Amino acid sequence: MRTIKYILILLLFAAVSCKKETSFLYEVEPVTVSQNNGSGKNNVKSTIEFISIAYADIFGSNISTSELQTLNIVYTAFGDKKLIEDRIIRSFLNSPGANIPSSVSVGGDTAQFVVNTYKKLYNREPNEFEKYYTVQLIKNEIYLSARVIYYALMTSDEYRYY
Amino acid sequence: MKRRDFLKSAGLAAAGAFAVPYILPSGRLFAATGARKANHVVFCLYAGGVRNMESVEMVDGNLMPALLNGNSPISADIISAMDPLPSSPLPQALQNYGTLFRKFKYSEGPTGHFNGHTVAMTGVYTTNDIVIKSNPKVPTIFEYYRKHNTPQQNALNCWWVANALGPYPALNYSNAPGYGSEYGANFISPTSIYSGAGQATIQNVLNLSNNENDAMLKMRSFLNQNFNRSYVNGEAGVYNGDADAGLINTFLSDMFLQSNPQPWGISSSIMSNDMYNIYFAEEILKRFKPELMVVNMQDVDICHFNFTQYANNLRKADYSVAHLWNTIQNTPGLANDTILIIAPEHGRNFNGNNSIDAYGRRALDHTADSNVTQGDQMAREIFCMVVGPPSVVKQGQVFSPNAQSPFVGESTDIVPAIANILGFDTNIPNTFGIKNYNSTDIKQAFF
Repeated sequence: MRTIKYILILLLFAAVSCKKETSFLYEVEPVTVSQNNGSGKNNVKSTIEFISIAYADIFGSNISTSELQTLNIVYTAFGDKKLIEDRIIRSFLNSPGANIPSSVSVGGDTAQFVVNTYKKLYNREPNEFEKYYTVQLIKNEIYLSARVIYYALMTSDEYRYY
Repeated sequence: MKRRDFLKSAGLAAAGAFAVPYILPSGRLFAATGARKANHVVFCLYAGGVRNMESVEMVDGNLMPALLNGNSPISADIISAMDPLPSSPLPQALQNYGTLFRKFKYSEGPTGHFNGHTVAMTGVYTTNDIVIKSNPKVPTIFEYYRKHNTPQQNALNCWWVANALGPYPALNYSNAPGYGSEYGANFISPTSIYSGAGQATIQNVLNLSNNENDAMLKMRSFLNQNFNRSYVNGEAGVYNGDADAGLINTFLSDMFLQSNPQPWGISSSIMSNDMYNIYFAEEILKRFKPELMVVNMQDVDICHFNFTQYANNLRKADYSVAHLWNTIQNTPGLANDTILIIAPEHGRNFNGNNSIDAYGRRALDHTADSNVTQGDQMAREIFCMVVGPPSVVKQGQVFSPNAQSPFVGESTDIVPAIANILGFDTNIPNTFGIKNYNSTDIKQAFF
């Protein structure tokens, strides 16, 4: 009986000692970092930021210093900033060099157009509700061209913040 | 009818008469709280620094024949530099349509253009240095009007039309507690917008059809509902609602189309910045018929280095003001219901500086400083003219200086006068130090 006890104790020691170490490798799945809604945008863009960003969003290039100065004169010359910004955006959108999608779908996929547009202008993806509502709106409103949608987004309150 | 029924129905009728709003002849839904002298005021700052010697004292002849009586010829040594101008559109000099204060005073504070404008629009002297390009610390006449007039009016009724940028855009509202952009005026510097800069940037804009606009509004409304901030909440300057903004946008577009280098039939080589500014102010008056407008001119400030062109620009400003009054009197809704107040923001020095122009005339600065005894005190001497309907403004009256009263009136009289004309002066709290209208000299211009 005593022999059996010794054997069991030896087996127990053998079981808890000298175990081969397992190595774990922790990795992170690649994720896209962006604001998932507008709630984190607390800062109003300055005049210069607003004009520069709008120009880059529409023309795909940086605004020149002289163009920025010219726009700043007009911007300063009217007291209702929202009104004059509206005209600046409409002027950009009316320019022959405006880089605006020709269709409200990407290969027939309206949702992809909505996602792309949100990412470009709002620097975030639309949440599911926004995506669903906007797709439905585009499907129901034949007058919502890509240019009109760009105009709506770029004169919305969220576009004025970062 | 029983006596009780009669009294009951008579009482209800009387109550109804008081409770139901009615349209006044002026188009207003409710009467303002105070009695109005007129329903429109235009305050024209004949600014840039005008010395009384060249205006009302006519030392170089009558350089302002559209405003002032008198036929004294322009000095022979400078007359060849005077641009040809049409004769005044008015049958007689403007002073005959109201009251002239020949020696008004800019009593305190530095005689700087921005200081002078600030005093004129706030009714309070700025004896301390003021921060250029910063909104005034005390409310402007625009804010008093929009906050204290009953009923409250939108910004479409209230304009500040400036001939230049620099610090002047900041004068459409203050940062005084309880006031600010919510009560500010629509500011416009037309010569900046209707210029190469404006044509290059905001003339050719995307125009939506009604259907496109409806769809766009639906989408933008959705976007704004999903965002937790509103940009129009003070950070976007003065705010016009969608309907008013649409009217202004149409006006801006129309003015680009109408852009005429010779709007008064005067050669563009002669039209000055002041003249264009008054022309655009007239177009705003005709389109929107605002109750309150402040418009300025400043081309006479060339006097810092060219006296003769200062004299020439005095004439152009003179013609412009007469044209402005003529437009007002030919605009239904404004005619016979508008009071025009004209005053420089400050004067100019008695002593010339070192610049001598091609005609041998010495240029003039304006250097009375914040200490009311230092500097050249002539820079504090200005004039003021108030014109309006004969039933409201005393016609042909002139206040001239004398030993007992070297000055009659001062710059800070104007804001309380405007408030009184529009009937809201008694609603303004005595927080920021503007004068009581009853203690002003300018009230002597009115019946």
